[in-house]
Amino acid sequence: MEYWGVKVEDIFNTMHNRLRPEGAKGVIAEFGYDIIGEGKWKIKVNDGALGVIKTDDISNCVAVMVCDGETFVGINIGKVDATNAFTSGKVKIEGDFGQFGKTAKMFKKFVPKKASMSVRDYMLDMFGTLVQRFQPDNAPQEAVIVYDIGGEDGGVWTAYIKDGKCELKEELPAKFTVKLEVQEAKDWVDVMLGKTDAFSLLSAGKGSIVGETQIALKLEEIFSKYQDPMAGGTPEQELIVLKKIISVDQKFSTGPVMGKFLNALKNKKILGNKCPKCGRIQLPAREVCAECRVRVDEWVEVGPKGQVRYMEYVYYASPDPLTGETRETPYGMANILLDGCKGNDTFAHLIRRDQIDLIKGGKDDVSGTRVRPVWNEHRTGSIFDIKYFEIDE
Amino acid sequence: MANRVAICAVAQIKNDPNLWHARFQNMLLECFEGIISQTNVSFDMEKGIRTVLTCSDDVWDARTISDNAITDVVGAHFRGEEKIAQESLNGLGYAMACILSGHDDIILYMGHMKESQTESRGMCTNLAFDPFYCRPLGMDFVNVNAMQARAYMATSCINEEHLANIVVRSRKNAKKNPYARNNAIVNQDDVMKSPLLSDPLRELHYYPTTDWAFGMILCNEKRAKEFTGKPVWITGFANCIDSYFLGDKDLTSNFTLKNATERALKKAGIKGLKNNFELYELCDHAAYQLPMWAEGIGIIKDGDGGKWISEGGLDECNINISGGMLNGNPLLLGGAARVIECFYQLRGEADKRQVKGAKRALAQSTYGAAGQHQAVVIMEV
Repeated sequence: MEYWGVKVEDIFNTMHNRLRPEGAKGVIAEFGYDIIGEGKWKIKVNDGALGVIKTDDISNCVAVMVCDGETFVGINIGKVDATNAFTSGKVKIEGDFGQFGKTAKMFKKFVPKKASMSVRDYMLDMFGTLVQRFQPDNAPQEAVIVYDIGGEDGGVWTAYIKDGKCELKEELPAKFTVKLEVQEAKDWVDVMLGKTDAFSLLSAGKGSIVGETQIALKLEEIFSKYQDPMAGGTPEQELIVLKKIISVDQKFSTGPVMGKFLNALKNKKILGNKCPKCGRIQLPAREVCAECRVRVDEWVEVGPKGQVRYMEYVYYASPDPLTGETRETPYGMANILLDGCKGNDTFAHLIRRDQIDLIKGGKDDVSGTRVRPVWNEHRTGSIFDIKYFEIDE
Repeated sequence: MANRVAICAVAQIKNDPNLWHARFQNMLLECFEGIISQTNVSFDMEKGIRTVLTCSDDVWDARTISDNAITDVVGAHFRGEEKIAQESLNGLGYAMACILSGHDDIILYMGHMKESQTESRGMCTNLAFDPFYCRPLGMDFVNVNAMQARAYMATSCINEEHLANIVVRSRKNAKKNPYARNNAIVNQDDVMKSPLLSDPLRELHYYPTTDWAFGMILCNEKRAKEFTGKPVWITGFANCIDSYFLGDKDLTSNFTLKNATERALKKAGIKGLKNNFELYELCDHAAYQLPMWAEGIGIIKDGDGGKWISEGGLDECNINISGGMLNGNPLLLGGAARVIECFYQLRGEADKRQVKGAKRALAQSTYGAAGQHQAVVIMEV
């Protein structure tokens, strides 16, 4: 008989592949299964080794589980709640009940083969295996980790870790150590399957971490890697990947020209330099006009107000590779034609985030939205001495 | 060689420990202007420079595509531009390819390296190694060169005094070179008491942190006279690469340098070094390399390094009259500095350090760990 497309034999025949050596460690016993109307099986466990046979002789077993096929399959694939089945008498354990309990941690969950798994299937499987994947040696003494996953397929799961044990509940506690908020369940599935990394998700503004970030950064150690059930019958070989942040401290000299440009920002002035040959104004100021191949020595103050020529919406922000700093998205980056400049001599900067939808780009004959710089109170000679430009009303 | 390529002009800034007041664009711009004022070369797409070559390194500049940041100060806009991130001497080979193929008549070749920008030269050269195996072991160019130094010193009977004498001589020679890094004159005792970086290499055995930039104009034989009355001809060039992993090679073998030298000499139509060269400029990142590369090129026999130094071979053969890389040229650019010294010498413009009657010179460069990559160029007037 098949129950939800799965036969009782399927459960037993996959036990070798689903064995978790760490769960079977130290267990030396034989367990019997009397599945009414289907047959009898015996599994022999010897400190990590496993034997499974179909046999009528289950007399020497330390404990025997008795139930019907539907209940047995249902429990194994997560369709029937094991505790309910036991308290309602659908499952009986004859013999040493305590010993039999060890079988619960001995196997990875049986996942019925399907043509594909939906996002919801993955979510259930990921959290269904979370406790099994718990690594007490790498876990903090005590922590409450909340996964708040949005979207239709999402939900809230909380892992309570205490003294080397982990318990998972579908609830949002009042107090937690760290909370991972992910807007879309699909993104979280992609992270768990290694299709994207969590850092990219965060820098794109599609997720956030509330509370102790350090715990969140250690999740890959606290729980072993989620194995994609669709990836094949045999466990996937772990790829050895070396993750390193390459960083060598640098000091970038500005030189006299870039130095003068940056220094002027301290005094709320935007200085360009004008090519003596073609007359174009360079922002930021540079040593030479690349087009005329001459030194550019004439300084001119421009702006600070101007009109937007082009603006783009940035949804996926690259973190600064030198500092790791990220920014909120979407943000607007604009080329601004400052007063006193002409043609393509524009100045690149950011637009106040709440105004980006109001910006119109200009053309040669039509002015774009007029903007003005918002200066930082504490100015250091940096491009962020201007926080951003805002609409000049 | 049927078709020769000329070096028509060179320009450089003075080698400096820390050009804190300049970004590397400023360093290059001085060289660019030097080249233009000497040659009046134009950027006309028919008659002038159609291609600019540059030499720089992404890790040391701390930006990817390091040439992008400098195209304006080397006049490269609106024409061909290409970077080499290999040792600078190899840019001559690239320029020769452009010119001898007939695609270009003139090549402007510029290079820069600002070693003072990084807080750790060792961390930069550590990145030259693979991330799984050699990097975690802490390899960098200094400690790997030290391994080679130890092996080489044993086979060629080089002792601490020899190394000290090489350093003392380098500093003295450099005093006569106006573009050399200003270093203190040292004596044998100073060198032998300087701190050990990685035994047997001491601080004074190793080239110091240096900022530098250069430019040169290379041209085909037909048009060289438009830019100079005294062209210096490149008659032979070759390079050779050895294995990446140190364990794959005999650190003392000089295989790659022998290979490159042999091929360059063949191209130049020269049989053997003896009586054929008036001077040599060798890329001595560290003191032990001077006799080692001399063996590799064939100035002396394998294993004779120690004896040769004791007998005054360095002065007799006019090795590194400029002071060498050991006095201070940045990594990557040691080869260009060697070529530029040969250029001055062959034109009779080396002033107080002039080698009389210099007609032919050999410049060598090396890059990578323990002489992994070697290049040789033969220059003649």
